[in-house]
Order: sequence, then structure tokens, then C-alpha cells
Amino acid sequence: MPESKSDVLQGTLDLMVLKTLESMGPLHGYGIARRIEQVSNNTVSLNQGTIYPALLRIEQRRWVKSDWGISETGRRAKFYALTRTGHKQIEQETENWERIAATMARFLATSN
Amino acid sequence: MDWIRILLSRTAALFRSKKLDADLDEELRAHIDLAMHENLRAGMSPEQARLAARRSFGGVTQTRETYRVQRGLPWLNEAERDIRYAVRQLHKSPGFALTAILTLALGIGAATSVFSVVNAVLLKPFAFRNPDRLVVLREVEAESGAERVAIPDNYRHFLRLKKTATTLEDAAIFSQHGESVSPNGEHPRIVGAIMASPNLFPLLGVQPILGRGFVDGDTQKGTDNVVMLSYEGWQTFFGGDPAAIGKTLRIGGQPNTVIGVLPPGMRFPEIALSSKIAFQEAGRGALLFQPFAPSQRDLTADMGNFNYKVIARLKPGTNLAQANAELEALQKAYTLSAHLPLHFGIALTPLAKDVASGVSGALWLLFAAVGAVLLIACVNLANLQLARAVNAERETAVRAALGANRGQLVRSRLTESLVLGFAGGIAGMALAFAGVRLLISFAPGNIPRIDEVTVSLPVLAFSAALSIASAILFGMLPALRSLRVAPQAALQANSTRAVNTQEGQGTRSVMVGAQVACTIVLLIVTSLALRSFSHLMRQNRGFDSSHVTLAQVDLFAPQYDDSLATVKQAKLAFADRTLAALHQLPGVQFVALTSAAPLTGETWVDNITRPDHPVPAGQEPPINVRWINPEYLTTMQIPLISGRNIAPSDRANPYVAMISERTAREAFPGEDPVGKKIDALVPEDKHPFTVIGVVADTRINGLKDTAAMVYTPYWAFTHWTLSLLVRSSQPSDALIPEMRRSIWQIDPQVAIPTLKSMDELVSDSVATDRFQAMLLSAFGAAALLLALLGVYGVLAYSVSLRRQEFGLRIALGSGKNALIGLVLRQAAYPVLLGAGVGLTIAVIALHWARSQFYEAPAIDPIALSGSVLLLLFAATIAAIIPARRAASTNPMRVLRMD
Repeated sequence: MPESKSDVLQGTLDLMVLKTLESMGPLHGYGIARRIEQVSNNTVSLNQGTIYPALLRIEQRRWVKSDWGISETGRRAKFYALTRTGHKQIEQETENWERIAATMARFLATSN
Repeated sequence: MDWIRILLSRTAALFRSKKLDADLDEELRAHIDLAMHENLRAGMSPEQARLAARRSFGGVTQTRETYRVQRGLPWLNEAERDIRYAVRQLHKSPGFALTAILTLALGIGAATSVFSVVNAVLLKPFAFRNPDRLVVLREVEAESGAERVAIPDNYRHFLRLKKTATTLEDAAIFSQHGESVSPNGEHPRIVGAIMASPNLFPLLGVQPILGRGFVDGDTQKGTDNVVMLSYEGWQTFFGGDPAAIGKTLRIGGQPNTVIGVLPPGMRFPEIALSSKIAFQEAGRGALLFQPFAPSQRDLTADMGNFNYKVIARLKPGTNLAQANAELEALQKAYTLSAHLPLHFGIALTPLAKDVASGVSGALWLLFAAVGAVLLIACVNLANLQLARAVNAERETAVRAALGANRGQLVRSRLTESLVLGFAGGIAGMALAFAGVRLLISFAPGNIPRIDEVTVSLPVLAFSAALSIASAILFGMLPALRSLRVAPQAALQANSTRAVNTQEGQGTRSVMVGAQVACTIVLLIVTSLALRSFSHLMRQNRGFDSSHVTLAQVDLFAPQYDDSLATVKQAKLAFADRTLAALHQLPGVQFVALTSAAPLTGETWVDNITRPDHPVPAGQEPPINVRWINPEYLTTMQIPLISGRNIAPSDRANPYVAMISERTAREAFPGEDPVGKKIDALVPEDKHPFTVIGVVADTRINGLKDTAAMVYTPYWAFTHWTLSLLVRSSQPSDALIPEMRRSIWQIDPQVAIPTLKSMDELVSDSVATDRFQAMLLSAFGAAALLLALLGVYGVLAYSVSLRRQEFGLRIALGSGKNALIGLVLRQAAYPVLLGAGVGLTIAVIALHWARSQFYEAPAIDPIALSGSVLLLLFAATIAAIIPARRAASTNPMRVLRMD
């Protein structure tokens, strides 16, 4: 059963966007938002508009760079692509998450 | 480092906001388009597709908002908005805005001007290497009692200390005096000169920009005819010519070779010989530096010859106390090993403290005074702002109801004050330039480092900080008050203000009270200054300066050089001929000669000893010796108390002396001094003198004190600096060119550094006190005016609020006088309370402040009561106007208005 729309923390949204771009290559904002919804099996259904401030944030940090291109519908749209710094950021964040997950797993195991 | 990058991108975005907005819109349109496209493909109708796309997107406006917050500097946008709003509001009340800006400009301008002086004179470090490690070293006679007055230094003692002290890195000995310079053979002029041991500049850390410094070889008599010029000296005498090195400059009639030029901005500070001997005007602003070639007397005299000053640098790692202790011990040891009859100690003072010591108290007092004026002005503005805030209550309530949070409300109100503060500050800074120039032109000449006073960067920074602080001070209260607005009450259309008359009255009264207290303190200090100055001028001086003109002559030409055998006769001949020539001038009744210019402080201070009445060493009373002519007493109109005056018949045997009453009291207690002998007074001459008369005490060295004087004829010894005083029926202006001509006719190579009327000399000698009294009066008057405006403003405002109440009272039969009494009583509480508080503070502050004024008593009832009465009288006048307006309210008009 899909969860109700949950608040997604800023940092996790950033990581999701980065991973999406890593696996999908350059994509526009709509595409990123839809992909996140799909990958999370619709448990993460955010207001798609919130993707744009997030994209601006990671662009300010130089993890992605943007360029204008043509969308599938023939309209001008902005496409985002990972930078090298962005790739490194993914590695770092992934490591962080895995460490947190491992620690939590140990806690949950012992309390059983 | 990320945050820097982000900050830069946010700042850059500010300038491209229009384009970036358009970009975002296009991006969002593309997004909706794509969403619609997918929905259509999934089978929805175009209408459904669009709605679904919009819904899944979320709020477009919200997205735009969040995006903009992320993109730009949101606080900057808000600030811009607040500022625009504030400017608009101020535009609507131009009267208030102009008053506020003008008040702030005057207050901040005055404070900045005074701070410029304080900064240059007291705070700015000297342009030397590590100036806080430099100290002034003086000797102390242990026998001079608990007071331990510091005396100048002796050369041999200096050499000893320098050799054996471990806490000093280096020490240099020097003297400051006037030297007569005649560039191009013109009539000589006196300029400031310093004679110093060759290590002075390395000690200070100053390198010459041209040529070289002094070396040890320069200190031998014969090879010491070299001179270094200060930057100003180089400009003055050689016009900044880079080929000046090697050129000759005639100093004291002797040719000297220029060997070096010092950097600009290096100014040698004025260091007094001791606290009792004022710094001689002639030595100010040294342009020349010559090497110190010690004379035979310097090298051999362990006693006497205390004529020099020493500046030293502490070794790194030692502090003042350690150096003091070590040097004190060394002095003691030396006293014992050299079997000196007196015990010597040491007095060390940090250089900055020593130079500023005479004026620092007065300057801080002025600074406090101007600060008080600014404070009163700010309180006035705060009251005005409060009134405006009350008027704007409805608008504040609306904003609060629409969702403005507390921070935004306060910030918005405060921005108005900050805008006023900014405008006032800019105007104040501009005024300060003029103010500083005014201060410098009126300032007495003896304020050290006065030529370094400018409106420099630290001063401007202070000014800016002061404007912001003032703005916050007078804006905070009204801003905070806007938080207490209850939206409901304020939004009601009914504007009967009967309910609001008492609200805020408490705060306003307290502020008026505070203003009155500040004003009282300032008024009392001012009246003290004025009374002290008037006392100084009107007290009995013991001499009469009217109709007397002074010409100071310096015999620094080669024909009067000490090494010549004929020097004694030459000086004597000059004195005789000049006295005779001046007698020939029109209207001249008497001509006096003395060895030191009057009213320039104590000089030629010696200890009096009596051959028939020895006194324990170190307890001989100090005296000032003056070499005079017989007409001195009549010219200055100083009365003779007993015995006789010097007469021309004493020329054959000139070893006679007259003493002043004070000398008689201190050296001849309980006996008649006439006929007694006193020991040698002439340098290198052991012949004793006989006292022939006692002269009344005068304040001839300075109006603030008498001194113990000994007067002996110039035939016994003619000094190189002669002061000629001419009493004539002619005014000084007519006499001065004649005097100059006469003197130069006798010898064109002597210098005449001073030529002015005695009255002017007296006036110059009290310039500092006059300056202080003038400035304090100006500040006191300003404070009084501001406080009165404050009393008037607050009272007028509160009366205007109570219009309807007064209308009711009149309609119900109250008399005019009763109403006036009612209003005055309202004003009376804060004024009287403030006056009381102010009086208490003043009495406490007086303990310190009175040290700044000449002979100011601890409690001066006239000053205290005068100030209080003045304030109460003025406050009553300020309060009468609104009171009368209240009493003449037309009840019909007021009660019909709503």
C-alpha cells in the first residue's frame, strides 16, 4: 500500500537526484521527478515542484551543471548532468548511508 | 569553502534576477508540458491532463518563492523593501526628517571632531618601531620628599645607567631647544632643534630617506658640525632638493653640513624636562637634529648639570616595573660608590603617557561632554520617534494581522531610524572636516601632536559606528513598542484617544528626566570651568601687563659663542646698547631686561644655599633665577617690600640680589633676609651674593602659581636669551616695528623669535583654560537647548493627546490658571526628579572633574545652584507654551471633533 506523501528530507532528495542522473544520464527536471517516483515504487510522491529548488541547490554546489536543450515535446527545457564533483559526492554520500544503515541494523538486531 | 562559492553565486544572481525569473518560468512551462504529454498518452482528456499535471506539480507560486529564496539573498530583498518604505514615510513628514538629520549631523559632527583630536593626541601610536616599548627616563631626588618630583637627567648618570642596565635595550640622551638658522644670510629665525646622542634614530627605528644617520665620530667637538633635517626641515630650507646632502646650513652662525633627511610622518614628540618646567615653545616641531657632543662639564659633573632628557627602549621580555626596579637599584649603588651628597632614584614613564600627560584629562572631559550632548539629542529623537510610532499604530496592527512576525515589525521600524542615522552620519562626517579645522585654529599651542589631527580612517570608522549606535539607541524603543500593539484596539475606527493618553507617558517622562539629568551635569561642569577661568584672570597677579611690549632676543650668533674670550663683554655691550636704544623710542617710559620671557613657565631653576645657614642636602628650596636691570620693577610695576632696588651704582660690584617674598619665607624663615648672603648663582663663579631687598610675589612665570624668585643684575651675568620689556604710552602695534628696527640696527645677526604685547602674552598663557571653557560652554548651551526642546516636545505632544480632556474641563468650569497649573505639574515631576539625579551625579563626578580646572573647590554652591536655577527657569518657559495652549482650548471645537 503506498504510504501517504511523506516529507522527504532535503539531503536525501539531493542524493536521489544525483543517483538518478548517474544512472539515467543528462535529464530534465520532469524526467528526474518522474524517475524518483518510479524508483521508489511511488512511496515517495513529492510535489514535483520541489525538485527545482533542490536542483538549484546542487547546481550552486557544482555537483551538476545545466544546459538548455529540446524536450520530447519539442519545447525548450533545461537538462542537468552530473559533474565530476557530483560523482565524488555520490560516493561519499553512499558511504555515509551504508554506515548509518549498518549501525542501525546492529542496534535493531541486538534489541530483538 | 562551499559557502563562499554559494554566496558568490547568490550575489551574482541579484543582478540577473529578471533573466533568471524568465528562465525559471520557461523551465516550469516545459515541465507542465511534459506532464501533460504523459497524461494524454495515458488516455486522459486534454482538460484532465492539464489538471493532473498541475496537481502533481504542487503550488507554482510556492515553488517560485522557494526557488527565489534559494537563489538570491532574501534578507537583502527584505532590507531593500524596508528601506524604500522608510524613505517614503520620512518623505511624508519632512519637518521631522529634517530636524532629526540636522540634530544627528550636529551631534555626530561635534563628536567626530573631538574624537579626531583625541585620536591623534592620545590614541594614535607614534611612527616608531614598537612605540609601546619606549620609555622616558628621568631622575628623582630621593630627598625631595614624598612627592618625588622628577628632574631632568645628568650626562654622567646616563652613561652609567646605559652601561650597566640589563633591562634596557638602548638609551639615548637629548635636549630640545630653539636654534637660530639663517638660510641665505637673511635675518635669522628660530626653529626647533634636537641635539641627541647618535643612537637616537636606531633606537626609535627610524631610517633616513636620504644620506646617513649619525655615527660616533660625529660627537667629537670639531667634527660635530653636521645636521640631519626632518622632512619638513628639508622642504623648508632646501625645497625638497635631492642634492641637499653635503650642502651647508648656517645654524647659530656656524656652517653645518647636511648629512641626512628623515622620512615624512616622523615627528619627534615634545618631552618636557620635568613636570614643573613647561615645554618651551621654541623647541616645538623639531626641524633640525644635531649630534650631542658632550662638553667638559657634561663629562665631569656628577652633581648639577641636570639639563637633559633620556628616552630608552625596554628589552623584549621585560616590563616597566622590572626596569624601574633595576634602574632604581643601580642609581642607589652609584650614589653610594661615587659618594654623592644626594640620593638619586629613577622615574620611568611610557612615552605615550608622558607626552599626553598634560592634556589627557582635559581631552577626555571634552569627549565626555560632547558624548552627553549626543546622548541628549538621541533621547529627543527617541521621544519624537515614539510619538510617530503611536500615530502609525493602525498600520502596524494591519501588518501584524496579515502575518508579519515580530522580527519583521521591529526591523521595519528600526530601518527608519537607521536611514536617519545614515543620513545624519554622512552629514556629520562632512561637518567634522570643518569642525576639526575650527578646533585646530582655536586650539592652544601647547596641545602635543596637534599638527597630526586629521579626519582619518579610524575617525571615520568611529563616526560610522557612532551613527549606527545612535540610530539603534533612539530607534529601539519605538521599534519595541510597536510589538505591544493590540491589533484589535488599534483597528477600531473610533479615534477617541482618551484611552491612550497615559500609555507611554511613563517612558516619555523617564526620558525627559534622563535628559534633564545629563544637562544638569554638563551645566555644572561648564559653570565650574567658567568660574575657574574668570578667577584665574581676575586674581591678583602681582604685575601690570598693560602698555608693555615684549621683545625676546636670542644671541646665538658666532660673536657670542661661549668659547670666545670676549663673549662676556660682547653680551654685556649688546644689552647696554639695546637698553639705551629702546629708551629713545617714542613714548617710552621704562625699559626692563630679564633673562626669561614672562609667562613661559619656570626656568633656570636652582637650589638656594646660604653659606651661614647650611640646610640638609636635598632640602634646599628651589628658586628661579633672573638676570635683570634696575628698571625691571618699575616697568612691571612690581612693588618692593623692604630693602632697596638694584641701582646703576651696583655695576661695579654686581653681586647683589633681590628675593621674592616666597624665597624669603622658604629660605629665611623668621629672619630679615636683607644683608644676608646666598651662595653662587653665576655658572662657574663661586662669588656669593648679598640680599639687598625683598620684592612682592608675582605670578610672572604663569598665572597659576607664584614662584620663589631671585633677581640679580645682568652685569653679573648676561644670558644668551634676553627679554626686553618696554613700557610706553604708544600701543604695541606702533612700537613693534620700531623695536625690531632698533635691535637689528645694533646687531643684525641676532634672532628675535617673539615680539608681542604683554597683554597678548598673558592671554596666550591661558589659552588652554580659555579653550576648555569655551568648548564646554558651547556644549553646555547645546545640551540646554536640546533638553528644552525635549521638555517642550514631550509636553506639547501629551497636551495634544489630552485635548478633549481639557475641553471637557473647561466646559465643566475649570479656570485657565488651574489648567496651566495642571500641565506644569505634569512637567514638574520628570524635570525635578531629573534635576535631583543630575545634581547627585554631578557632585560625584566633580571629584574627578575639578582636577581639570584651576583651583576649583570641591563643592561650589554658586555653580551648583546657578545651574539648577537656570535649568528650572528655562524648563518653566518651555513648559508654559503648551500649558497656555492647553488652557486656551476651545471646548466647542474640540468636543465636536471625533
